[in-house]
Amino acid sequence: MVVVRIPSLLADQAGGQGRFEVEATTVGDALRALPVADLLLDERGELRRLVNVYVDGDDARRAQGLETPLDGVQEVRVIAAVAGG
Amino acid sequence: MGVLLLAGTRKGLFLLRSDETRREWELEGPLLTGWSVFHAMQDPRDGNLYVAGNNFVYGGTVQRSTDLGTTWERSEGLGLPEETGLKLEEVWHVEPGHKSEPDTLWLGATPGALFRSDDKGETWAPVLGLVQHESREQWQPGAGGMCCHSIQIHPEEPKQMYAAISAAGAFRTDDGGETWVPRNNDVAADFMPDPFPEVGQCVHKLLLHPEQPDRLWQQNHCGVYRSDDRGDNWERLEGNGLPSGFGFPLALHPREPAVAYVIPEEGAENRVTPDGRLGVYRTGDGGASWELLQNGLPQQAWAAVMREGFASDTLDPVGIYFGTQSGSVFVSASEGDEWTEVARQLPPILSVEVGEWS
Repeated sequence: MVVVRIPSLLADQAGGQGRFEVEATTVGDALRALPVADLLLDERGELRRLVNVYVDGDDARRAQGLETPLDGVQEVRVIAAVAGG
Repeated sequence: MGVLLLAGTRKGLFLLRSDETRREWELEGPLLTGWSVFHAMQDPRDGNLYVAGNNFVYGGTVQRSTDLGTTWERSEGLGLPEETGLKLEEVWHVEPGHKSEPDTLWLGATPGALFRSDDKGETWAPVLGLVQHESREQWQPGAGGMCCHSIQIHPEEPKQMYAAISAAGAFRTDDGGETWVPRNNDVAADFMPDPFPEVGQCVHKLLLHPEQPDRLWQQNHCGVYRSDDRGDNWERLEGNGLPSGFGFPLALHPREPAVAYVIPEEGAENRVTPDGRLGVYRTGDGGASWELLQNGLPQQAWAAVMREGFASDTLDPVGIYFGTQSGSVFVSASEGDEWTEVARQLPPILSVEVGEWS
């Protein structure tokens, strides 16, 4: 079981829920289990460019991306990249 | 029954309510905060609200509300199939389907994409006849991307539709979307080596007249045009009172096919209202002449109105509405003769549409 936290804008799109407990072996599995998976992953199932995912504080892109294993992981945190205006 | 104005902004959706006099307006919002509402409309068939909303991180979505904006549901599975080699970028325009198909809606998007829903917007399927059109290699994106922004359906022939893409041009289908033919004859593309190509025109907005559906109007990058034969031929209409052929929004009178409204800009290289003031231009003779309407509009203004930012209602007299990039909403309850600013300091307004509330 891993905890996934998402930003408030996504929580609004998930009925107000910003914290999820999911059964998942990889980051991709964890994100695909969320009701906002389509906002995190594009139609090819790839992580959207400005979506950052941290696995116990480490950037998943610097690990194995969506294939990053979640063995022993406590928390997956989704954070929007600093961008926009 | 009251008048409901939907103002989509770069930072959420605002609703403005009035009665049929359209004098006093009550502002609600923002709704869907965090989303750029490229287009919001009320489906006249069931009263549902639909939003084509984009977020620079989370992509393009369609959101539906069955309770006038209190709660929203997001469409599922919106995207382009791998075989197209394309990915959905932004959603631009959601259009109710023909009255004989009450569950059907259409969605225009970038890059040059059209989608169809047959379940009131819950799911969408790409219209591959247009997405994979044989002329696609000749299309190019305008400043807003390669957006499909205009979708019009013939009121008496449900299988006849028009879609317009910037900068691909106008297309017509006579078989419900299976096949599409370019309809850009005599429409200029001055930015191309051949100024009259078959495709590649930069249509900014295309509308069909509901009472005379063979008549189409378009505001183009290169002029204002009218067609009286379902887009087979187009006549360029500027001059005779219109200071510029460049502009984005277009509005029609719902009952008078000879009446149209535009809000031009100086030109492609200076995208502000001409002569340093905000003016609406109306024709009452099919575009042969244009009259400046400025009563109640700011006479020192360098404004801009986006392609979706102009609308008309069906009351008598007709109400005309527009929103500016500087966050003002202007209303005329007198077919354009008098204008009132009914909201100001909103985020940049991307779309304005009229519905009703009770």
